[in-house]
Amino acid sequence: MTTESIGLRWGGGVSPFGISWQKMFMWWFIVTDALLFASFLASYGFNRLASDSWPDQSEVFHMDFIAAMTFVLITSSATMATAVAASRRGDSRIALRFLLLTIVGGVCFLGMQAYEWSMIIGEGARIDYSPWSPGEPGFVSFFFLITGFHGTHVLIGAIVLACVAIKARRGKATADGYELSGLYWHFVDLVWVFVFGCFYLI
Amino acid sequence: MSHLDVANPYRIYWIAWLCLLVVTVVMLFLGNRTLLILGISFKAIVICLWFMHLRYERLDFVLYILVGMFATAFVLFGLIAPDGLAM
Repeated sequence: MTTESIGLRWGGGVSPFGISWQKMFMWWFIVTDALLFASFLASYGFNRLASDSWPDQSEVFHMDFIAAMTFVLITSSATMATAVAASRRGDSRIALRFLLLTIVGGVCFLGMQAYEWSMIIGEGARIDYSPWSPGEPGFVSFFFLITGFHGTHVLIGAIVLACVAIKARRGKATADGYELSGLYWHFVDLVWVFVFGCFYLI
Repeated sequence: MSHLDVANPYRIYWIAWLCLLVVTVVMLFLGNRTLLILGISFKAIVICLWFMHLRYERLDFVLYILVGMFATAFVLFGLIAPDGLAM
């Protein structure tokens, strides 16, 4: 790339990567948020490796239920992708329908997570006490921290999607609006892939 | 985004969904840590490329997003987390 072409591309007035600034900002947010979750999971890994009394997750969690939660979130991601594609095609009716299905998926996931938390708390777990490893509270602390942060992201995502749905109902939603909120929603799904794999399975 | 408008049948998202679902179910029965990490990576790639549309973006943008993230993740997971073994 010559100096002249670099100047043309980065000198202002054009989008260097061929995307809108809103999408660029969303991706920056996603990258920084992804690193936040990466640091949570890495610190979870560190503590788990450093501990000699870490409980076996399969004895604590009902894996069938966690798999069902994963199914709900993955499905909501597929419905969101369909909503984005429909909005790009100008099919606002299908876009809104799939957007509403996505919100339903998000709310279902939150309900399931609330149920899981209530079960864990009901068994005596606290942020600083683990009934499965009394001398090692780290397991439960990380459970509440990581799933709590992720659940908060799902809640925020559902609220954002509801705002987009209201705009769509009024005929004011744009395809870019669908895409930006979709990027965030897929990111929430992406984080769950790592949480499900690293925290529940490995 | 015109290339996206053309190559954007809904079908591809539901194929991706099916792939994610199958891998998730398989992962439930895997006890091998390496295979589980491969499963996580596969699912992450499917979500990034198809759901998040990275496969439709320009390569320089994709590299811009992913290289720094992978480098930092490598430091966190590859260099820092394993230090827990030495504690």
